Formats: sequence, structure tokens, C-alpha cells
Amino acid sequence: MTVTTEQFVNALRKGALAIISAKDELTDLDREIGDGDHGINMARGFQHVHEELASYEGTDIGEVCKAVGMTLIKTVGGASGPLVGTAFIKFASAWKEHGTLTHEQLTAGFQEACAGIAARGKSEVGQKTMLDVWVPFTEALATRQNVDETITQALQTCQALSAKKGRAAYFGDNAIGKQDPGAQSSALLLRPFAEVM
Amino acid sequence: MVNLILVSHSEKLAQGLKELLGEMAPGVAIHLAAGLADGSLGTDISRIEAAFEAVTDDSLLITDLGSATMNAELALELYSGNHTITFCDVPFLEGAFVAAVQSRMGQNLDEIILALQSEFQ
Repeated sequence: MTVTTEQFVNALRKGALAIISAKDELTDLDREIGDGDHGINMARGFQHVHEELASYEGTDIGEVCKAVGMTLIKTVGGASGPLVGTAFIKFASAWKEHGTLTHEQLTAGFQEACAGIAARGKSEVGQKTMLDVWVPFTEALATRQNVDETITQALQTCQALSAKKGRAAYFGDNAIGKQDPGAQSSALLLRPFAEVM
Repeated sequence: MVNLILVSHSEKLAQGLKELLGEMAPGVAIHLAAGLADGSLGTDISRIEAAFEAVTDDSLLITDLGSATMNAELALELYSGNHTITFCDVPFLEGAFVAAVQSRMGQNLDEIILALQSEFQ
């Protein structure tokens, strides 16, 4: 399996549109256990990303990821901007000057991104954050499991967790049974990549 | 004289703190990166970068909540200016208070960080 720049950009475009469409749903989730701006922030950032991708005609996946990462850092705000932005900056260094990615290269990039998110947020799996989607996704990718099913399962697992990081941590066990907005938006972003693989 | 950079979700909160610090440490340069351009709550990395550009000496960076810290740490990684800017993970109000008074007394950045560590560890 290889992924071309066109396939990568198409998947990213679909993920961006999914996040933009889910703006209100994400914000409602964030009102429950956060500061109620996740959908607004992510939709704003991914609107910029979507416009940026529309005019991209190059063939360098690393270059795309660097531009997307900087756009997310500058335009999303909140906690998600630096977190998702860092993921794309890690992609950019892993996939610099790559026009296509092998399965191994794709996996390595996602592993770097997970490590980047964990370092930026000083967090780990099991704390009810976006990592609870990113890490299972990457493990499924690495071991060639069904990525789409993995995301669905990961969301269920995350929903049942107590919150240990971010604003939701102030709610602690009261967050059990509520979905983490960052996990939800990560699922929307990553699901289109399941189709590519 | 060591500058202070206050990164907050709220412009009002940061301005209020700056006013409070001014009472105890007049003359200490305090730069704010707080709130979003439209006046709403949040932290904007462009504002943090603008504060970095405005510093006149080595500077101590203090943040209010998690995402402010993440944006500040990211801005630090991107910073390529001539001054040393150090993030210190201390309570926003009390940490800024200790740091401002230390700076007024002419302590350097390392001395201020030591003072903060002994106060808040």
C-alpha cells in the first residue's frame, strides 16, 4: 500500500469538511466538560486549511503538512491549535519531500505525531484526550487492523473514561459517560484516512 | 531589568494583574498576550509572538491555564530573537507577583527563577 499526495490531500480535505460540519456538535460537547469553544475553534482553523488545500498543486506531502500545521497553530487557538498543529509539524518532518508514502513511512509519521501531541500536552493514553483516538488509530495502522472500526471502538472507550487533562480534568469523574470533544474531532479528522488505506 | 510576559485567556485578567503588579513593582516592563483579537477569551500565538518581540531584556513567561501554556511553549520553540525568555510553571497571580518584585530589586533571570522555585515547589 502506498499513499499519494493526492490521496493524502483528499483525505485531509474530507476530514476538514467533517470538522466544519460538526462545529455545533463539537461545541456542545465542549460545553459539557470544557469551555465551549472547541467546535468554533476547530471549524475556524479547518476552514483555513480547506481553503489552503483547494489551491495546492504540489506533490510534497511534507510541504502540505507544514503549511497545514502552521495554519492550525495560528488560527485554531485553544488547546487544540498547538496540539493538532504539532501533529502536522511532526508529519512535515517525517514526510519531508515525499510524494508518496509507503505503509511504513505513513505509520512512522503517525507515531511521531502521537509522540508530539503527548509531549505538547504532557499527556498519555487513558486521560480522556485526543490521544485516546490518535494512538489506537496509529496502532491499528501499524498492525494493519481495521482502522475505521478501531476509531469507533476508541471513541467508546474514551467516553467511559474519567478526565485527567485539560479543562475537562476539573470535572474529573463527572466527565465519565461524556465524550471528549478533542477525541471526537480527531475521529472526524482521521476517519477519511481509513478509506485511503 | 528582567521583563515579565503574562499569557492569559482573558485580557481583563491580565490587565488587572498588570495593574496590581504596578503597585509593587513600578518600572518593571510587563508585556501582555491575553485574549483574542475580537475581544473574546482565548490565547492567540500571534499575540504571544508580538509580546516576545516587545521585550527589552531577558524575560520570564507566566501563563494562566493549560492551553495558554501550550501556546506559549510552542511560541518559545519558534522564537529566534536575541533575549532569553524562560517559561516558569508557577501560579499566575502569585508567581507574577514574586517575579515582578524580584525584578524590581534588580535580580537577574536565574535568580528570579530560583526565587520562584523556592516559593512554589
